[in-house]
Amino acid sequence: MLGQWVVTFAFFLHSCANYRNAKNFTYNILENNHFPYKKYFDYSMIALIILSVYILIRQVKYEMSLTWLFFNNYVISAIFLIEYLLRMWVYSDNAKVIIDQYENDLFLHRRFSLSQAVKTILKQKFEFILSPSAIIDLLAIMPFLHELRMLRIFVLFRVLKLFRYARSLRRLISILASKKFELLTLGLFALIMIIVSSVLIYVMEATNPKSPINTLFESLYWSVVTIFTVGYGDMVPVTPEGRSVAMIVIISGIAVISFGTSIIVTAFTEKLDDIKEEKMIEDVSKLGKFYLICGYSALTNEVVHRLRKASKDIVILEKDPLKAKEAQSEGLYVLNFDPASLHTYQMTRIHFERQVIAVILLEESDVANIYTALTIRELNKKIPLHSILHKPENRKKLSMAGIDEMVNPHELVGFMSKKISNQPVAFEVIHALRSEHGGTAIDEIILDSGMSKRFFELLVHPLFHQRLSMLGIYQVNEQSFVFNPAANFHIQAGDVAIVVANRSLVNEFRNLLHRKKGK
Amino acid sequence: MARSAAVFGFNEYSRQIANQVRDIYQDFALFVISEEEKKEALQAGFLVELIDLSEDWQGIERQFDVESLIVFCALANDAENVFLTISLRATFDKLNIVALAQDNESAIKMKSAGADKVLPSLQIAASVISDMLGKPIVTKVLHEVLYEDGLLNIIEIEVTKDSEFVGKYLHDIHFKSEYDVILLAIVDHELGTTFSFASKGHNHHIDPGDILVVIGYQDKLDALIRAVRKVHV
Repeated sequence: MLGQWVVTFAFFLHSCANYRNAKNFTYNILENNHFPYKKYFDYSMIALIILSVYILIRQVKYEMSLTWLFFNNYVISAIFLIEYLLRMWVYSDNAKVIIDQYENDLFLHRRFSLSQAVKTILKQKFEFILSPSAIIDLLAIMPFLHELRMLRIFVLFRVLKLFRYARSLRRLISILASKKFELLTLGLFALIMIIVSSVLIYVMEATNPKSPINTLFESLYWSVVTIFTVGYGDMVPVTPEGRSVAMIVIISGIAVISFGTSIIVTAFTEKLDDIKEEKMIEDVSKLGKFYLICGYSALTNEVVHRLRKASKDIVILEKDPLKAKEAQSEGLYVLNFDPASLHTYQMTRIHFERQVIAVILLEESDVANIYTALTIRELNKKIPLHSILHKPENRKKLSMAGIDEMVNPHELVGFMSKKISNQPVAFEVIHALRSEHGGTAIDEIILDSGMSKRFFELLVHPLFHQRLSMLGIYQVNEQSFVFNPAANFHIQAGDVAIVVANRSLVNEFRNLLHRKKGK
Repeated sequence: MARSAAVFGFNEYSRQIANQVRDIYQDFALFVISEEEKKEALQAGFLVELIDLSEDWQGIERQFDVESLIVFCALANDAENVFLTISLRATFDKLNIVALAQDNESAIKMKSAGADKVLPSLQIAASVISDMLGKPIVTKVLHEVLYEDGLLNIIEIEVTKDSEFVGKYLHDIHFKSEYDVILLAIVDHELGTTFSFASKGHNHHIDPGDILVVIGYQDKLDALIRAVRKVHV
């Protein structure tokens, strides 16, 4: 009966959208580093910890008001307790455990074992309780349970909680953890040395009335101070035997410190690339809109140079580590991942719809570009895809792979050569317009329906007449260009006018066109 | 305008150049510097001549009228291309040389070597890609106007000595309303040898030899050409 009720309730929770949303939100805010609002939660908790430690330090010598003490002992502790319980809640899914157990038992024609489900739930919850970070969390709540002065020192455990909220501290721990074996071996060596030398120095010195080392604790203190090369000098062996032990401990101490340092430095060096990569992914995920370029080459560099002039953000995906490094040295956002792999986009957390304006495929072969295009099309059908075309005979294949626009440098050079040969001035005019040499630009002005009258009136306005040429209007719906349209041309929403004029005049025309509309 | 053209080298670039220009010149020649290139060019259906970069180029002088010749230096290797350009310039002062460069660095060297016009392939591709992203419609329309054999075209018209246009001012001619074309620029020899954009608003005085750069449908352009060349009575 109870079992049936529990199963029904588990199914209810499992299918309740509000419950699932609340749990997801709690999980995201507590555990998901990529959740945009988590950082605000983390900052608030860091502020509470700092405040809590400040109160502890302040009350050592000064009287604190009861309000502050209440705030520290109860309010902050209560917040930490709620946080602890929420973390325990989201750590595992009890409803799912019960449903799994129920379905398993049903499949095997057995009676539902509630005790087995409870056991699994408790096992999972204890896993959480016994984890180092949860132990620290629990100890940080202690001042709430005890108002004894001695136990106030537990507030310091709140400082350890900072590891939860500061990513860089977590990274430090993970770096040290990568050298766990080496550090443990060295630690064991240091421990043995401390024990052996403590006993030896005790044996050699404790019986000598002139020696300051008289107890086992004092000999342990001396050993620790000596092996870690601090050497206060408040206690020194006086017997020749004790001094001999001291010499051995001093030499061992240098070895322990230097080995320890080198292990930590090596760990950092080995993890440096990972840290940089992680940081780069984080930076990219914070970017707004950007162009995604797949493949780094001299051509990429040129494209980037031009896009940067237009103040656009660019992210480069390059699988070759050497090339990626070269691109990074140019100060670009570079992710050393294979653009043709689906895994790349999961790892780098690139959000096509929210972040990517267009993808530009600049890899060194059509084969690679087609492969990458198909990967991207699998993820997003609409994102504009542009590509370099290395061999004209592959144009159709690139188009089939979903690439919208292609540029073949060989064909371009061929076309340009023809134009230079028979219309050199016309070619130079267009080239100057494109590059805006001399301040004259060719630009697009997006129009709106009902703008026809205003648009054609402005064209004959004394400010623009003879100084701004309107080449024509591109009709987006019909995908056709109407050259030199008459003043009765009907403009539709989204149509684009192409104008030639001084850059500042184009901007003024655009402003006046839209300002008039506002009136 | 040049009446003959010569392309040097046989690779993807020079093949495209040769394909585009061979039909618009009375005389066309393709020169290569290796047997391998020669073989490939012959297979592609070109008449080809093998040359040595260190030769004295008298053969070219015998084959073409150098003053009406345009040369495309499109060897695969930039260093060889610079050497070819400087060799040609050292021999022929008035030769019109167009050189292909892989990047800007080589482009500067080609210019120093005496090329009249340099086409840096990397920069050309990059500039078209960035234009496609920034101004997609302008890029599309300009590509059609410049390179495709559509109805819309851009041409330059030289004003002849006896033209009706001689002596007029630019603002007296209603290019848009009367001829249905748009004047983009003018080379006014009174002011210099380079062009000036019509949108600068200057009311140029038209003289013989001035060049008008106009854009329009081919039939309208033909009508304008006829009008420009119409003899002033």
